[in-house]
Amino acid sequence: MKELLIIRSVSFQQLDRNLVAILERYPEHRISILTHEHGVLLAQKYKGIGHVYVYPYKEGFKFKNKVPAFQDKNFDVVIVPVTNITGAGFFNVLLFSLSLKAAQRVLCNVRSEFKELSGFSLLSLGLKNLGIAVLSYLCTAFLALFVILFLPFKLRKIEKKGES
Amino acid sequence: MNTPLVSIVTICWNRKADLCESLRRIREVDYPDLEVIVVDNASTDGTPELIATEFPEVRLIRMYKNIGIEAYNIGFQNARGEYIVILDDDSFPQRDAVRRMVAKFERDPQLGVVAFDVRNFYNYDDVKNDAFKETGQAFRGTAATAENYLLAFNGAGAGVRRELLREVGFYPEEFFLYWNEQDTAFRILDRGYKINFFADVVAYHKYSPTNRSSWRAPFYYTRNAFWLIWKNYPLGMALPLTIRLISDCFYFALEQQTLIYLKAMIAAFVNMGRLKGKRKPVTPEIAKNLRIPFNVAFTFYR
Repeated sequence: MKELLIIRSVSFQQLDRNLVAILERYPEHRISILTHEHGVLLAQKYKGIGHVYVYPYKEGFKFKNKVPAFQDKNFDVVIVPVTNITGAGFFNVLLFSLSLKAAQRVLCNVRSEFKELSGFSLLSLGLKNLGIAVLSYLCTAFLALFVILFLPFKLRKIEKKGES
Repeated sequence: MNTPLVSIVTICWNRKADLCESLRRIREVDYPDLEVIVVDNASTDGTPELIATEFPEVRLIRMYKNIGIEAYNIGFQNARGEYIVILDDDSFPQRDAVRRMVAKFERDPQLGVVAFDVRNFYNYDDVKNDAFKETGQAFRGTAATAENYLLAFNGAGAGVRRELLREVGFYPEEFFLYWNEQDTAFRILDRGYKINFFADVVAYHKYSPTNRSSWRAPFYYTRNAFWLIWKNYPLGMALPLTIRLISDCFYFALEQQTLIYLKAMIAAFVNMGRLKGKRKPVTPEIAKNLRIPFNVAFTFYR
């Protein structure tokens, strides 16, 4: 049987909806899910899910955060659900999906529309986002100077009186 | 089982059909001592008139203008129940949820919030495992917790001790919309109470399968993320988090070709005076361990 992994990057409310479409589109697949620790019990409530893997980190999905259980695991399909139409704001999850061995990576948007992502499309998106990141760091560096100088003073001014 | 009075509190603004459906579902809730409070944020679509006619059991409180989440605080102040169930205008508890919530509170005096497992009203019943039918039997150990971090709660379904909510000052009215639950969570945890999700306490929510193309969600999520940091984090964490958030605002503004995140960032700084007297840093342990996914602010728009 083919193996499919869902990276739970959205709320369970949305996944309830996406899962109906995923089950319909991939009927011959055994479906597993990767979720943060607090989501395990909630993910186990799905009838269509074979195995629930734990993402053993507090923070969001990141390329550098390896999941030990996936070291020798190959998936036929990895699905990245996103809370919007285009997947904007989810590049970290898409990048994380590249750290998994998978034949196919598919984005599933809020309307449960599917879009296959090639390695090339992810690479070009990565290059574009790298340029954006450099620009945003430059802008931030300029502002950070003022923040470091003035924010501590401003924070003291809004502190609740009589509290330690 | 002891059945103390429980107050269900929700607010609404021009969502007549959704609210009425939720109120009909609330009538089916299996709990003997329940009061329902709806605070109407000056709807103009006939919502308050319909509630008054169709749902005479509901305590309706009418605002003269849309005051955002501050309307919840009006509802909380008027609640008489020992426990409060917080809902959205388009969410409602599963039939047994309130009874189970009360049992959990009564069993554990340090439990401050019972966070419901909020599910999609349209699809959840199609995808849930029948072996996990809400019998209570399958959910002996039902707290969906994590060993290394803490969680806030979802305002579409959460139970809270009324007295605790009062002590922490209810919701932060200056937020107007979004991240209010997280701000309240900081203060609840800082008082030494727990916030736990429970798999057997379910609420249904009408999750919309469309983009939030309105400016409201990205604006308020982003602005309030700054305020959340400034109100609650110790200085040593607030500084790097602020700089990181500024960087994210630039990054996602460029990625999504929108100025909304930069406008929200400017609004946060310009209106920082609204937080006067409201900053109370939590302990470093809570600040470090409470999981706040700030990037959510940048994922709704496109």
